[in-house]
Formats: sequence, structure tokens, C-alpha cells
Amino acid sequence: MAAVCAASRVLGRKIVSSTALPAVCQTSNRKLHFSIYGKRGDAKVSDAISTQYPVVDHEFDAVVVGAGGAGLRAAFGLSEAGFNTACVTKLFPTRSHTVAAQGGINAALGNMEEDDWRWHFYDTVKGSDWLGDQDAIHYMTEQAPAAVVELENFGMPFSRTEEGRIYQRAFGGQSLKFGKGGQAHRCCCVADRTGHSLLHTLYGRSLRYDTSYFVEYFALDLLMEDGECKGVIALCMEDGSIHRFRAKNTVIATGGYGRTFFSCTSAHTSTGDGNAMVTRAGLPCQDLEFVQFHPTGIYGAGCLITEGCRGEGGILINSEGERFMERYAPNAKDLASRDVVSRSMTIEIREGRGVGPDKDHVYLQLHHLPPQQLAAHLPGISETAMIFAGVDVTKEPIPVLPTVHYNMGGIPTNYKGQVITHKDGEDMVVPGLYACGEAGCASVHGANRLGANSLLDLVVFGRACALTIAEINTPGEKLSPLKPNAGEASVANLDKIRFADGSTRTSEIRLNMQKTMQSHAAVFRTGDVLKEGCDKMDSVYKSLDDIKTFDRGIVWNTDLVETLELQNLMLNAVQTIVGAEARKESRGAHAREDFKDRVDEYDYTKPLQGQVKKPLEQHWRKHTLSYVDPKTGKVTLEYRPVIDNSLNAEDCAAIPPAIRSY
Amino acid sequence: MFSANVARKAVLSVCRASLRPAVSTVIARGYRGDAPEPAVIEIPLPPWQDRTGESLDIKRKRLLYESRKRGMLENCILLSLFAKQYLNTMSELQLKQYDRLINEPSNDWDIYYWATEAKPTPDVYQGEVMDMLKEFAKNKDMEQRLDAPNLEYLDKSN
Repeated sequence: MAAVCAASRVLGRKIVSSTALPAVCQTSNRKLHFSIYGKRGDAKVSDAISTQYPVVDHEFDAVVVGAGGAGLRAAFGLSEAGFNTACVTKLFPTRSHTVAAQGGINAALGNMEEDDWRWHFYDTVKGSDWLGDQDAIHYMTEQAPAAVVELENFGMPFSRTEEGRIYQRAFGGQSLKFGKGGQAHRCCCVADRTGHSLLHTLYGRSLRYDTSYFVEYFALDLLMEDGECKGVIALCMEDGSIHRFRAKNTVIATGGYGRTFFSCTSAHTSTGDGNAMVTRAGLPCQDLEFVQFHPTGIYGAGCLITEGCRGEGGILINSEGERFMERYAPNAKDLASRDVVSRSMTIEIREGRGVGPDKDHVYLQLHHLPPQQLAAHLPGISETAMIFAGVDVTKEPIPVLPTVHYNMGGIPTNYKGQVITHKDGEDMVVPGLYACGEAGCASVHGANRLGANSLLDLVVFGRACALTIAEINTPGEKLSPLKPNAGEASVANLDKIRFADGSTRTSEIRLNMQKTMQSHAAVFRTGDVLKEGCDKMDSVYKSLDDIKTFDRGIVWNTDLVETLELQNLMLNAVQTIVGAEARKESRGAHAREDFKDRVDEYDYTKPLQGQVKKPLEQHWRKHTLSYVDPKTGKVTLEYRPVIDNSLNAEDCAAIPPAIRSY
Repeated sequence: MFSANVARKAVLSVCRASLRPAVSTVIARGYRGDAPEPAVIEIPLPPWQDRTGESLDIKRKRLLYESRKRGMLENCILLSLFAKQYLNTMSELQLKQYDRLINEPSNDWDIYYWATEAKPTPDVYQGEVMDMLKEFAKNKDMEQRLDAPNLEYLDKSN
């Protein structure tokens, strides 16, 4: 049977890969054929229902999955270093979710007042609630000024002061002199389109170095062999062909997974594809229970009102017209760290001082600011407020609510960007695999991310991945052999979904998942509600077996892609909620009503003298590593310690844990 | 530094935008408050190209995907609702206009600002489809626009 199929399919086309052995997948009885032959250029575009999946093999030195800020920076860095790089992305690069970023990039340039990166380091460690790895944070904050200057040299048009230096604005959680010197102004921005400017600059630069872009290719899975990552397999949406990108180095930069929740500020593309690929490869994801709720998402649609509004002077008010943040964070007030602000807003609502007919949100007031300032520095806000909330920001306040915004967790890496696992108490590098951006967890954000640190995270760690790869590899190295049928299981899954004819539609399952996550794993979490949520998510996960899709084509099949994304979201969701249920403490963005305090190795509210240090199993200042069995949805949890030393103790003293107040 | 991958790159490159900008960048510095901000970022990107040889059905399917998958939530909601209403009944000329409108601009926010009339639409994007989009954004029927629609409206077996 196989030989007949093989013979009938070998066409006189250029074979890119040296392997030519077809393989027939035995697991499905739909006679799925999985063959490898070259198909370039004269592909026939056909929407006919076919059981054939032509596979094209590519060989590169490095493949980057995702073309947002981190992916582009990695691709550009690799191409500049001479590596033959492919960038596989399901979206055109300038349409990645990075484009939505309006805040800015933190860097201790010292243009507005005297500044020191060690103060930024302190702010970030404190902001992470001491769950961040201090070596990675040291690396990021020390590199920040150089990274911003580098972007400026690439042509990024930062907003400027009258003297022509880069304008820096205030942002939440940033202070001077280790928290004792007042608000710091270190957020560099390009008006309100920093994200777009970053993408445009990096994309333009990377093209000059001959990066190969595979746009609108949906990455399905990693090609793993003997614990080593050998590339990625992807679906080309334009013609339904399957592509295997073989490379010695794979960089995952696929972004976050906000779409697991019903209300989030993320675009519909934030589906955690990279996290899911890593999970299916049997590797852990780290700290997924830490989901940041941005204080100011528009009530209803969830569209984001940037923290920059508060940086420019906007204030949050309750039903009594009170600027309530003065009570919760006397020093930083409305610019306290996001988790502090989100929790404060939720407490105000729960205590009956919410606004609106259901008293279930609060107001963000901007109309006391001069209209020219609003127009110049925050132009997009007016439109968003009008379209999605029906509000004129120069006259009325905007209704806002804490909304899912960012995922601190992701694929665990060391400070160089290499993906790690944890065995027998040791961190071990997974050869050939790297991660950066929101998809990665280095971990610089720990339990809570500070505003404007994410764009910084993208460029610093995108560059770090490129540097690490360049350090340990040379361009043009021969690739190790790959099994001829590598990636078969991914194609079998694709085929199964494409013809799925169960009883529940993709959109129904997705809504069930989103509503469960929203009700059971929101800003405030309680033990029994979380437990109920875990059980519900378990049955929602199992309902995937009975899914129903309707589009049987293979070309531009949005139904298929959204179902693949749902599978990815589901893996992220179960790890998030099970991790949240298991973590019996409150830290950063993870707030538990039944365990209101942090549980560290010492009780930091009291002097350390005479205290006995708790072993790792008895406290919670540790990273969660979660694994999922994709067939059943069962989550297994392990833990690894936080890295408490900086890269160089003389250069930058590590910050010992303390009580976190603003 | 460059290995003999050059020839292989030529074969393997499937970059859709294959033109290389051959200009050096000129950076105009804008001052806060005084001089106007530079309206255009200097680094030129490869120009957008209309796809040839694509049937109208395939074009509609592609534009559906590209309407639903945008850079930020506002556009995801606006364009997927717009696509639900109009995409399947657009003429060939309208499809071409829409294709250009949602694929050529490099900043997704610009499309949003033009649709909501926060900024004037550049001449190249003016046309029937832009007018339809502006009208749609006004939401005269005051329908609830809290999220992008599900795909089931396309299921013919419904």
C-alpha cells in the first residue's frame, strides 16, 4: 500500500530535502498519506477535500516562531550574525500583538533626572514579589540603556525633550534610590505607538539581512528527537501544504494566552501556541498561574486604556468621587504596581463603592487634564473610549475594570534565553530550544510585571537568544538526521480536527473554557472556587474529543486554525487553574482570599534573628513547573527554586526579600 | 562570515515581499511640543503587492482570516464584525479595495483611526469600502459590540 502511494506521488519536482521515504500513518483509519517531496513555486491551490498532505522540508541554521517584538529581534540578531534564519509566523509581522503596545520601554538613561539601572533592578525585583530570577533581572536592567540606544540607532523615532534627548515618562512601580527617592521617569516611548514603531523598525532591518519570512504559516509542533529540538512543523494556510523547518536552533516567541479568559485586553491571536507546543513535547511551562489583570480595561469589551494615562495624571475614582488609591498606596497612589491597583479596585467594588447600575466597576478620570496634553500624548484613548464605552474623555470618566492583560508565566529559560527543565534539583538546558518575549519566562517578571518592562523584555531577551545561539554555533553547520516521519502525529491531529464531526462546536467549547476561567480564576481566588474550576476545566478539556468543525477545506480554513488555537488555549488554561489551586499563598498577581499572605522561607514581617529557614517543600517562594498529558488533560506540578543571586554581586547586590508595599 | 548559503537562500527564500529597500535611513528628530512629530517612520518596508491568480472564493476566505486576526482587540472586533456583514457580498473591486486597506498599512492603529474618523483617511484608501467601514464604525443601530463573532454564520449546514 505504501509503495503504491509513494510511487504515485513522486513527481519530477526539485527535492529540497535528501529524505524521500514516504510514510503512511497507521493510527487513523482514514488512509492519511504523509509524504515528503519537494513542492516549490508551482503549487496548485485547491480547496478540494484531500487526504494528501504534501510536505516540504526546509533547512535553516535557526528558525524563529513568531514575528512580534521578541521574534523579530531574535531573527534580526541571528541574520546579522550570519545565520540562515527563517521566521515562521501566523500573522504579518507588523500585525503581531506587539503593535498594540502603547506604553513604552523602561531604561535607566537618566534623561529626566539622575538615574541608575540598579534602582530599576530593585524596582523590578520588588515588582516581581521576589519570584523573579535576579540574574535575569540584573541582565535585563543593565542592558536596558544599551538596548534603547541600539533601537534609536536602528531608526526608531523616540519622543524627545527640548534638548533633543529621549523623553522619558513616569510609569507604575518605577522609583528612584531603591524606593526612597520618589517616582522615577524612565519609560521611553514613541508617542503612543511604541509597539508599532518597534515592529516596523525591526522588520525593516531584518529584511536587509536576508531573513526568510514564512508569513501566514501556522506552527503546529516542535520536532523533538532524543530530548533535542530539531525544528518546527507548520501548516501553510495559503495552500494547505505542510512544512518542516529543520534547524539546529529553534526560538519560540509566540506571545501570551489572554484568550483563555472571557474578558481580556489581548487580540484574538493571543492563543499560547508556543506554550502548547512545548507542553506537547513533554516539557514544562513555568508560573502559568500568574496572570496579570490590568487595572484599566474598558468595562465590557475589555479594550485596554494604557497605564500611560495614569502616568500623564489620570486618576481612578469610586462612586463617592474619591481618589481611592491614596488609601491603598499612599506614596505611589495611582501609579502603584498593577496587581496592587487591580486588587484595590476589586476591594472597592466588593465593598459597595463601585459605579454603574450594577456597581461593578470604577471610573478612570481624565477630564481634569488639559485637552492638548491628552491629544498629544494619548490620542488613541479618546476613540477607544467613544466607540466601546460611548464616553467623551474630555467631559466624562471612563468605566474600567481589571482585565486579563499579560501572562507572566511561560516557557522556563535561563537568563541567556535557553529553555530549561529541572531534574534532580538541577536546571538542565534543552538543546536547540530557546524562548523569549511573553512566551518565555526567564523569569524577569516573577509574580507581577511592571508596566513598560515587557517591551524591554522583548528586545533584551530576543537579542540574548540571538547572542547565545551565535556564541555556541556557527552558520552552515550540518544538521543532525531527523526521522523521516517526524511530525506525523501533528498532521494526524490536523486531519482529525479538519474532519471532526462530534456534537459540540468549537465556539461553544471555547466559550465554556473562557467563562470557567473568568469565574473561577479571576483577580481574587478562593480554594473551593478554584477546585470547582479545576473540575469544570477537566470536563471542558475532555469535551474537545467531541468537537465539531464545519469547514472541510485546507486553504485559508479559519475554522481549522481557530480549533487548533483552541487546543493550544486549553492546554494553557488547565495549567493555569491547577497551578493556581495548588499555590496556597498570595503573591503578586495571584491573590487568594483564603491565603492572604506570602509564604516565604522566612517570615519577613518579623526580624530574621532566631528564625529557622523552611525547606523548599514548606514554602511558596518557588517557581511552578507544570506538565500536561495531552490525551487526558491531567496536569502534574513540580517546583524549582528562585534564583536569588545577581550575575555579579559586586556590580549589583542582590535584593533580599522584604515586605512589598508602595 | 557569510557561508556558502547564499545560493541556497535564493532557492529557499519564500519571502512574500521580496524587494530589498536600498536606501539608508534618514532620521528626522522631532521635538516635543515645537516641531511636528515625524509622520512617517523612515525605514521603508517592501511595498504591498496584490495577489494574482486567486479566485474570488479563496480571496474571501483569506480576507476573513485576515479580518479576524489583527494586531489589537479593537480591530479584531471591528473588522470581524464588518467581515461578517459585508465580506460575502462584496464585488471583486470592493474585495481588492478591502484587501489593500487591511493589508497594506503597517500600523493597525491607523486603520482604526481612519475607520473612526479620528484621523483623515489617506487618498489611496478612500473608496466605497472605506465609506462602508466608516458607516459601520458609527454603529447607528447601536448593536452590542463586545466581541468578535463566532464563525458559525458561515456554516452552510445551519
